[in-house]
Amino acid sequence: MSEIALAADFAIIVVVATAVGLLARQTGQPTIIAYILTGIILGPVAFDIVTDEGLVDLMAELGFAFLLFLLGLKMRFKDIQEILRPVTNVAFGQTVLQTALAFLVAWALGFDTTEILVIALATVFGATPIIVKILTDKDEITSMPGKIDVGGLIVQDIYLVVVLALFAADDLGGAADIATTLGVILVMISFIGIFSLASSRYVLPKLFRRVADNKEVFLIVAIAWAFLFVAIAEGADLSAKVGAFLAGISLAQLPYSKELEDRITPITNFFILVFFATIGLQIDGLNALLAYWWQAIVASIILMVGNFWIMFYLIDREGFSVETSFLGSINMIQVSEFSLIVGALALDQGLIESDVLGYLSLMALFTMRVSTYVIAYNHTIYAKLEPWFRRFESEGDKSDALSQYRNHAIAIGYDEITERALPNLEARYGEVVVIDRRTDHIDEIEREGRYSSVFGDFRHTEVRKEANLKGADFVLSSSVEREVNEALLSEVADDATVFVEADRIDDARALYDLGADYVIMSTHLTAEKLATYVELHATDRAAFEGAIAGDIAEILARQRRSRDRFGGHAAIDGHGGDGDD
Amino acid sequence: MTEQLIIALAVLFVAAGLLSLVANQFGLSPIPFYILAGLLVGRFEFVTPGEVLTLAQWGIAFLVFVFGIRLDFSNVQSVLRDAEVAASIQLLTVGPVAFAIGYAFGDLFGFEEPLRNALYFSAAVVLSSSLVGGQVLRREIQDNLVHGRLASSIHFFDDLVAIAVLLVITADAFTADAITSQLGYGVLFLAVGLLFYRHGFPILVRLADGDGELVLVGSISILVAFLAAAEYVGLSIVVGAFAAGIAIREDGTNALDVRNGIDSIADFFGAIFFVTIGALVSVPSPEVAIMAAVLAGLVFILNPLVHTLAFVYEGYDARTAFLASSSLNQVSEFSLIIAIQALLLGTIADALFEAIILAAVVTMALTPAARRWKDRVFQVVISRLLGGQRSRKVDERSEVDADLDDHVIILGYGRQGRRLVERLEAVDRSYVVIENDPILWDDLRANCRNYVLGDAMSEYPWKKAGVDRASLVVSTVDQREISETILALEADADLLLRSASTDEAEVLLDAGATYVTVTNVVAGKELVEIVEAIFDGGTPPSALKAEHLKTLEAIERDGFDTRYSRY
Repeated sequence: MSEIALAADFAIIVVVATAVGLLARQTGQPTIIAYILTGIILGPVAFDIVTDEGLVDLMAELGFAFLLFLLGLKMRFKDIQEILRPVTNVAFGQTVLQTALAFLVAWALGFDTTEILVIALATVFGATPIIVKILTDKDEITSMPGKIDVGGLIVQDIYLVVVLALFAADDLGGAADIATTLGVILVMISFIGIFSLASSRYVLPKLFRRVADNKEVFLIVAIAWAFLFVAIAEGADLSAKVGAFLAGISLAQLPYSKELEDRITPITNFFILVFFATIGLQIDGLNALLAYWWQAIVASIILMVGNFWIMFYLIDREGFSVETSFLGSINMIQVSEFSLIVGALALDQGLIESDVLGYLSLMALFTMRVSTYVIAYNHTIYAKLEPWFRRFESEGDKSDALSQYRNHAIAIGYDEITERALPNLEARYGEVVVIDRRTDHIDEIEREGRYSSVFGDFRHTEVRKEANLKGADFVLSSSVEREVNEALLSEVADDATVFVEADRIDDARALYDLGADYVIMSTHLTAEKLATYVELHATDRAAFEGAIAGDIAEILARQRRSRDRFGGHAAIDGHGGDGDD
Repeated sequence: MTEQLIIALAVLFVAAGLLSLVANQFGLSPIPFYILAGLLVGRFEFVTPGEVLTLAQWGIAFLVFVFGIRLDFSNVQSVLRDAEVAASIQLLTVGPVAFAIGYAFGDLFGFEEPLRNALYFSAAVVLSSSLVGGQVLRREIQDNLVHGRLASSIHFFDDLVAIAVLLVITADAFTADAITSQLGYGVLFLAVGLLFYRHGFPILVRLADGDGELVLVGSISILVAFLAAAEYVGLSIVVGAFAAGIAIREDGTNALDVRNGIDSIADFFGAIFFVTIGALVSVPSPEVAIMAAVLAGLVFILNPLVHTLAFVYEGYDARTAFLASSSLNQVSEFSLIIAIQALLLGTIADALFEAIILAAVVTMALTPAARRWKDRVFQVVISRLLGGQRSRKVDERSEVDADLDDHVIILGYGRQGRRLVERLEAVDRSYVVIENDPILWDDLRANCRNYVLGDAMSEYPWKKAGVDRASLVVSTVDQREISETILALEADADLLLRSASTDEAEVLLDAGATYVTVTNVVAGKELVEIVEAIFDGGTPPSALKAEHLKTLEAIERDGFDTRYSRY
């Protein structure tokens, strides 16, 4: 019988990565560092028990493709629309200036021409996953500096995709070759890009509206979509990742992308772990890793300081406040894992030796470690340095306010229970956001146009963030699932008012203990009411008839209301919106 | 090499995606369609190189892993109590029949190991699929209807049997010694899993310190460790994956993240598994076709028949028994796992392997279709078969005072039903309760003066309850078919029905109901009142909370919050 765990290298990688990851976690380091270290430990540098062949290589490839798919999924044009102009300026300037700086540093350190080129192209990127992850954890991703950073990273990512495609092409002889290849790549990418955007406009909304209600089919169809583009990209001799990225972009524009993002993330995390480990595996030995150790430290320091000032200058020039410029810049000082990706590709193509990859790895490890702490304490650092940075303040700095939900009311699940209360909530809190897992409910809310809506299962982190659960003043949950309500109660602000629903008395009591303000128990309510009616029927027939007449009028009025609104029959049915699996 | 593998996966997923669209269009389970996708792309050999087969095995590991994680120990006992009689009857009657047929096939077609192959054949016949059947009955299971509960209990029982079978078939030889040592290892694995659940997993969560990704990767590491251990001692990876699933806890702050993560990864690898298994089937030869047809026939007709009779024997009414059984007529995904494990061991005849896969596709795809014909089949077959017996059974298990007049009939003895009984006894009004769940029989006997244990969809229980003399019928069940049956009785009594939506309520009112309760409307109204009370500043939320907690205590003292009741 073939063995799948004992014999598989990647199984060893997963287990060791967990151990190293748990250790790293104790010192507050990001998991990516642990994964790269895992590769270094298991590879030629230390124990040399794992090779990057067969399944390991496949999984690393898949991890990379999924990472770019996920990156594409995060590229929602409407998220960065309002600050698109300044962000494009910043990102463009940053790419040019940082490439120049990286080029200079590499040249000064005495690398040869091809190596300088690779290093310069590789070290310019910010570490999108790290920055996004840390900022999200700190809840700053939707702040102004956060948005600027994300916008800049997206532009960089597009740049990255072009660079990757360039490296993946064979035979890069002279300048003319590069220019032709670049031209072909751009044309190819535009074709696939146009196809992807056109389908996101005309095909995908209909397609996904149908499948989004079924969680499993939804995921598989999305993955199939990614693989379709991967196959097309392979067919066009482009890198598979370019295809994955474009597939992601076309899905990102759909209203269902938030939940999808959360479903793809774990698959990506699983494979990307293998990918980062293979980077460590590719370094030939301790000598290769440490061949350029002092150059790596010098370059890291120069690039961190230099990149900060480049970003600060660019953001400040766009007229943002000093604080925004400072925070936006200090978040972006590390050399990203993308430098390793570019490096790994260049190694594959024979453009560099493994010692240059070792140099890049050292730089990445070093700058990531430093910047994790820097981002974590960004506000404290700013508070210390503020007096000095005041000098950059100028008149007419832009207001940094961004539109996002705040002090709003959230309703989880759009059904006959929540629907009644929404007007009250609107009157009180101004803005109401409805989270629902069913496309027909979301359509209905959108058609009515009175409340905001987020499609997705409340269980997913991204969905909760999109609705800004932490900033809500009032949350009403019509889910009777205890785990959902427990997650809700542990995440809302302490002073928010929370109404939840429960089916069982035990659940209700547990939810009260966790801080719910009121637990709706519809079955018990109905039982009580029904008992009263039945008693009236036996004792006082007139009172009975009066009571039911009122209720019947209410049901009919509700039906009339929804008919007036939609011209058809009432679309909401009785079952709660989320948790349909 | 890697490029080819990626292309292979691309072909596999695009085919799976396309066919799952078809499945979704008709509201069917995607699983048979994944296998079908495999059948279609299987003719291209590059789709299933060794690496993809390995990934497919990871698919098995993750499917079983998820099953293990979902296992709720506090529930196991009561679930098994629901299923043990019927499932055992089915196992002991259908099992030997299928074994004999399987052995005959082995003899007829000259299989090398007829005994083992007969075992595989009978396992494929006996077990039913929780993934497909559970999807068909999703709503019923969620609503905790009697037949949904029964079916999911049987699924669960079958899955456990499958794991035991897998434990046995991986034994090198069918000797008592070999099998005993396998079973010993199996028990040991479960014990280690439980131990880890208690003491190991909390340590992992503590070390991860709020990082969901690390808990997820750590959970997969646990899976890897158990798989490696299983392979080391020569057990099926399924046993390792199951024990690993048991070791994972589903509580704490990262529970949702981890659960979502593992589900996503399992869906990904699961799809690879199902497509691959379809891709392993070539164009069927006559002997494959014959075996597949017989297998499908047994699964599709004999299984539900035996289940129905077993449930009826246990005391469920014919309709409930039939409805529960009608989702138990497909080849289980665990049978597929057994088949592919046997294929990897080289102990299953190729023809039988292909027959099991084909029968699985056919039966899994037909189950939802068969559900649409359920009423017809019930009328034509089951009613006739059990007709006379049904009213006798109702008589045996009911207690109705013959002189009742002007009484209230309460349908359903759940929470609402209990409340109503209590209230009617307080005002000294006569009543009859109609209920179809035999588990509540003891309660009915103890607490109700008059009751009928029977199926509210057929006429006799209503006659027994004296519906023509009643002044009021109260239904606490929001199933539309039930409401329509009550309206069709054309009784003179006032009818208080229940529905899940105002849409349906309006229709029922038009059709002659006196009144229709819509739980959500009642709750919505209450909600608005409370929200207004708080917003106007009149009542502080803390006062509401205290008051509600007091009410809950009162309700609980009356003791009608049981696991079985939904209404």
